[in-house]
Amino acid sequence: MSSTDFHAMNSVADANLRLPAQAPGRRRLFDLAAWQCSAVGAAGGISTCAASGGELWSWFAAAGLLAAGVLVDRRHAALKRSLKRATTDYLVAAEGVGIDVLPVWSDHIETSRVQMESAIASLTERFAGIVNKLDQAMRASNMAGSSTQAEDQGLKAVFSNSSRELNAVLDSLREAMASNSLMREEVQNLHRFIDELRQMAAEVANIAAQTNLLAINAAIEAAHAGETGRGFSVLAQEVRKLSAMSGETGKRMADKVALVADAIANARRSAEASATREAASITGCQASISGVLDGFRGVTEALSESADVLKRESLGIQAEVGEALVQLQFQDRVSQVMTHVRQNMAKLPEQLSQSRIGYERNGVLAPVDARALLAELEQTYAMAEERQTHGGGGAAGAPKAEEITFF
Amino acid sequence: MAKSILIVDDSASVRQVVGISLRQAGYEVIEGVDGKDALTKLKGQKVHLIISDVNMPNMDGISLVKAVKEMPAYKFTPIVMLTTESQEEKKRQGQAAGAKAWVVKPFKPDQLLSVVQKLVLP
Repeated sequence: MSSTDFHAMNSVADANLRLPAQAPGRRRLFDLAAWQCSAVGAAGGISTCAASGGELWSWFAAAGLLAAGVLVDRRHAALKRSLKRATTDYLVAAEGVGIDVLPVWSDHIETSRVQMESAIASLTERFAGIVNKLDQAMRASNMAGSSTQAEDQGLKAVFSNSSRELNAVLDSLREAMASNSLMREEVQNLHRFIDELRQMAAEVANIAAQTNLLAINAAIEAAHAGETGRGFSVLAQEVRKLSAMSGETGKRMADKVALVADAIANARRSAEASATREAASITGCQASISGVLDGFRGVTEALSESADVLKRESLGIQAEVGEALVQLQFQDRVSQVMTHVRQNMAKLPEQLSQSRIGYERNGVLAPVDARALLAELEQTYAMAEERQTHGGGGAAGAPKAEEITFF
Repeated sequence: MAKSILIVDDSASVRQVVGISLRQAGYEVIEGVDGKDALTKLKGQKVHLIISDVNMPNMDGISLVKAVKEMPAYKFTPIVMLTTESQEEKKRQGQAAGAKAWVVKPFKPDQLLSVVQKLVLP
């Protein structure tokens, strides 16, 4: 109910004042009750005269009684008039409170209510913003990977994948190194074959030399045999040629073996150098990889920890948010109570005006009906604490948030 | 597709608080300021649940429930009363009109959410 309603009501009350005066018959020109003492005095005077038989002293006495009666009556009338004036003044003043003061009180209450409503609405909006931002932060943190993430998502998984793949690279390097050392072993084994080959070449040379000697001996024998030994000495000659050829082959074999032995020795030296380099390189790789993984692990653990902290804190924050949302609802209740009070306050000026008008017209002093006002107020109640306050429990505290009924 | 919920209350702060609670849970929220406004907002809009105050200007909550039950498209839409009223008489009226639940303000967000999740249309 706004102040305009108040003013409207007041102007109606004012209009009542300006209505034409009551029908003349209401105001009695001769009020018998106002002259009752005079009448008693007159009656007394008359009976005194009559009783005394018209004596002079009785006329004076009669006049005195009448005069006394009239004086008392006039005093009485004056008192009545002054009482009526005082009562009227009081009622006008009371009406003035209703017309001037109550609207101001009411407007103050409404101003407060409106300000509170708009402040709480703004606060609630800010709150909604905070809740949204918190949600987004939580989502982003979850993607980065808390410790409760599934194994195939998040930083932890990336870390274990990287670790696995890098170790696989190291493993293949080690395998390569292992096969190189196998190769070196094979090369070592070749050395043995070289020695055997050398030996065989020497045996071939030996056989050739022996064969040569045998052939020479055979030629000598053939010469001793004369003509019959001629065929034989030709054979011996051929054998000498063959043994010379095998001697050559043996020598060539020995030369080749020497070359192969050199080549193998070179290969061995090369392989050993390369193995040393590889070992150093693998050690270096391993150290590097460990360093990288350690650094990575450190970062992921820190991130995982902070994500866990955020998750824990957010549970606490959720509880706070829930509680705050309950408190923000009280603006609505307070608003309702204030509106009910204002509505009831609006009824008072009308009653005060009616009181004054009633007295001025009828001389009947009707008090303001407190009980009726309270009853009307009670009708507007919608909340338990309103009824509690009404019942004389003093100011009621806020109710708990609990009641849910399913139908 | 997010489910829609219509909240009807003449208090902006109540609508806001309900909005925060429901949007956090992934629902889409439509607002009405009183019964009449709610009926306008319902036209041509699919809602899966209605939450309504009781004491409102223009058309109060109980009348709104009755009106919604008359609309064939929303006959089976569950309606939850959210109000400061706790009197048994009002509750009976709500139940008779067809409301599915009566929640007294102020509400705890997780409790309102559990009522919504229990009753919302699939």
